[in-house]
Amino acid sequence: MPEPTAPPADVPAPVARLLDELSALDRAYSLGHHGRWSAARRAELVDTCLRALFVEAQPRGVDLVALGGYGRGLLAPGSDVDLLIVHDPGPPDDVAELAERLLYPLWDAGLGVGHAVRTQAECGEVATSRLDAATSMLDGRLLAGDGRLWAGASDLVRAGVRRDPSAFAARLREDARARAERYGAVSALLEPDLKEGTGGLRDVQTLGWLQTAIEAPLEDAGLLRASERAALEEADEFLFRARSAIHLETRRSTDRLLLELQPAIAGAMGFLDEPELLAVDALMRAVFDHARHVQHVVGSVFDRFDHGTGQGAAIEPTPAGILEALTASARAGGAIPVSVLDAIEAGAVVEDVEWSERVREAFLELLRTGSGAAVALESLDRTGLLVRYLPAWAAVRCRPQRDPYHRYSVDVHLLHALAAAGDLLGDAADDPLAAQAARAVGERDGLLLGALLHDIGKNGRGNHVAEGVRIADETLDHIGLTGPSAELARFLVAEHLLLSDTATRRDLEDDDLVLDVAATVGTPERLAALYLLTIADASATGPLAWTPWRATLVRELVAKVQRVLERGQAGVETAERLSERRAAVRDALAKEDPDEVEEFVERMPPSVVLGVAPERVARHFALLSTPIGAVEVRTLAGEGSRPSTYDLTVVAADRPGLLSMIAGALSLSGLSILTAQVFTTDRGEALDLFEVEGAFDPVVGEDRWRAFRGTLRRAIEGRISLDHRVREKREHYPVTRHDIPLRVSVDNDTSDFFTVIEVSAPDRIGLLFDITRSLAELGLDVHLAKVATYGERVVDVFYVRDELGRQVDDPDRLSELERSVRTRLAE
Amino acid sequence: MKPHRLDEVKEALRDVGINGLTSSDVEGFGRQRGHTEVYRGAEYQVDFVPKIKVEVLVEDDQAAGVVDAITKAARTGKIGDGKIWVTSVDQVVRIRTGEMGPDAL
Repeated sequence: MPEPTAPPADVPAPVARLLDELSALDRAYSLGHHGRWSAARRAELVDTCLRALFVEAQPRGVDLVALGGYGRGLLAPGSDVDLLIVHDPGPPDDVAELAERLLYPLWDAGLGVGHAVRTQAECGEVATSRLDAATSMLDGRLLAGDGRLWAGASDLVRAGVRRDPSAFAARLREDARARAERYGAVSALLEPDLKEGTGGLRDVQTLGWLQTAIEAPLEDAGLLRASERAALEEADEFLFRARSAIHLETRRSTDRLLLELQPAIAGAMGFLDEPELLAVDALMRAVFDHARHVQHVVGSVFDRFDHGTGQGAAIEPTPAGILEALTASARAGGAIPVSVLDAIEAGAVVEDVEWSERVREAFLELLRTGSGAAVALESLDRTGLLVRYLPAWAAVRCRPQRDPYHRYSVDVHLLHALAAAGDLLGDAADDPLAAQAARAVGERDGLLLGALLHDIGKNGRGNHVAEGVRIADETLDHIGLTGPSAELARFLVAEHLLLSDTATRRDLEDDDLVLDVAATVGTPERLAALYLLTIADASATGPLAWTPWRATLVRELVAKVQRVLERGQAGVETAERLSERRAAVRDALAKEDPDEVEEFVERMPPSVVLGVAPERVARHFALLSTPIGAVEVRTLAGEGSRPSTYDLTVVAADRPGLLSMIAGALSLSGLSILTAQVFTTDRGEALDLFEVEGAFDPVVGEDRWRAFRGTLRRAIEGRISLDHRVREKREHYPVTRHDIPLRVSVDNDTSDFFTVIEVSAPDRIGLLFDITRSLAELGLDVHLAKVATYGERVVDVFYVRDELGRQVDDPDRLSELERSVRTRLAE
Repeated sequence: MKPHRLDEVKEALRDVGINGLTSSDVEGFGRQRGHTEVYRGAEYQVDFVPKIKVEVLVEDDQAAGVVDAITKAARTGKIGDGKIWVTSVDQVVRIRTGEMGPDAL
């Protein structure tokens, strides 16, 4: 494999020949077709060279042995040539010289050569202490020498593992565990290590060593079935080719299929882009699939070795019987016993499953085992049966996910999410919210199904949520599941990103947003289920997805939505009303550009849409079509709901104290405020809705609106003093009656988002102007104001928040407010 | 700054010609202390408020414009909008090419 860059002039002839032939071999096949045949040829070429060098060196009392993969007669393009020199006990001077004459030419030529120099006894010792030394010698093959020393050494090593095959098997398992921890699974990772990862080439070799240890073919010992051997052979060839392709592509001895290599490797191995699967994804799908087979077969063999082959439980070979058997195993915990798997495979279901009531009930019963079900379904997938139950599974099987968060293919992610949801429903985690949520979920089957199907739309056709809803519908129909569980599952598939996306990307202090989410979610139970799915989804994604950061944001949103739902401020009915209202607004704007209308409808705060007649909302379309200037004032007036009242909308650039300016300007224009609702659009425009009436002249014409706009604009520009003018105007009217007491009360319970301040006071010109000035001065935001007039007494109710967007609970601040209002109104 | 302002900040920076930034999910508290959330009777204390930290490397003469753009885009006017600090950087190296100083930006 090393780039044959002009070797030194004194290269021995056998090495020069080897380099020529190796480079010819590399070129003889395209990148993706260096399988085991090519590797065998490569090993033969190296054999020839080494034998020639050995003959030239004429050593005595040594054997030259090929180890590891090379010992098995397979040399990948970038693999090291691992050698062992077995020598007679005694001074190793000659041996050092031999090593020099054999190895230096190869090193100089750029070949990777590893070597060990041992006596027979040392071979036995090192095999006992180091598993990797033992296994590489189990694969040992005599290259040159009379073979006497190697035969003895090899016997020692073999006797070592044959003395106690169980102990040797345990060492192999332990090594597999360590590799799993270090390299992860070839069957799941986007950048797998094809050699050392779980389900990779090393795992295949493990079975060869086990076979040596038990001194019989695995098949004869009942540990491996013929079909499994075939799957293993196929996987071995595929992974070997992929690994060789990496070596040739990178010219390095690396075994990791890095993202940047995947396009080249996929092309070389003949994968083509298809409409719903890119070539790189097809490559990874094949890698995952083969690695899963390896993982499954190797795991089964070791299980059988440890626990015996058993006779196979009596399993009814029907779709329902299989699920029932799996449920029984899942309840018992741990991996599905091989006997069960064998029995299932033996009675394989050959056609797509007809979902009878019994199958359906068996499937749900299996799902209810949570993490047990995930293991069971995974096993069902290995036997090729899962897609017969759920045809939609085929599109997500082994499909890689290319984003920084997901660690697993889509199907594995779904199974992990199912397991996590099951765990949360069981004895829920350390999160007290999750524990509460688990108690609140009645339709547990719905949550489990939702977890299993939430990403089922990741089939390569884009927009996985919309696809997911469609496929989940089909799948639930196919299963024949109806009723509340199916409803919940559908809802969860459709909204599985809602909490996470909203919590991390939107302003949680925006009550309209919270109302919106509450309206979408509809019920506390759905909220609980959605919260659990959000956790399950994130924790199934990878270690980076469910961080305390994200968890805090999601919990805050959940707590807020829950309170809104508890108070009945939003829910299914609200959601329905909201969508009806929005439809009515769209209808009213049928003549306008649909895209602009859609954008307008989205931007209108839900509370406006819910609280204001659709025709009136629609009239705002023109009012908001262009951004507002800094001192611009726009109004829209129409007849109000009651006789001689008017609905007035004021739009201006938002600024502190704007509401009091509007109140003052209205007052100066002879208009009394009955209600006020204050909104801010996402463009920083204040959108304030008023219900007003003419104070003394009940008929209000365009000239009065114009006068109002002029007054407000001048106040905004700072050209007139509203305070002064309101006082002046007040002088022309009867004095306030002082026998009506002034009361200010504060309530933090009515609303989750606002402090409700009620001011009961004798009526007078500019009352609202004065109170709102006090509120503005203390940094309180008014969201809603309602004015009720009872004769000469006025009760003003304000929904306010502090600058944090929270309720006001600081007693000092509240008493300051009361004193400020009192002083102002006493004037 | 607040997490939900990230997109706005990204856009505002793009508008002033900044094409790269690093963002991290961070937690902390300043004047906006933590708070308690209650869900179905389960209470939990939020001591650290989730925020986003954005790091932008620019030449000196761009710094003021960047600060201005971020201020405008991240501001909601409420406590917890965050802070911007400007520090000098001794050296910048683009690892792939070895370019240094302004060339590496």
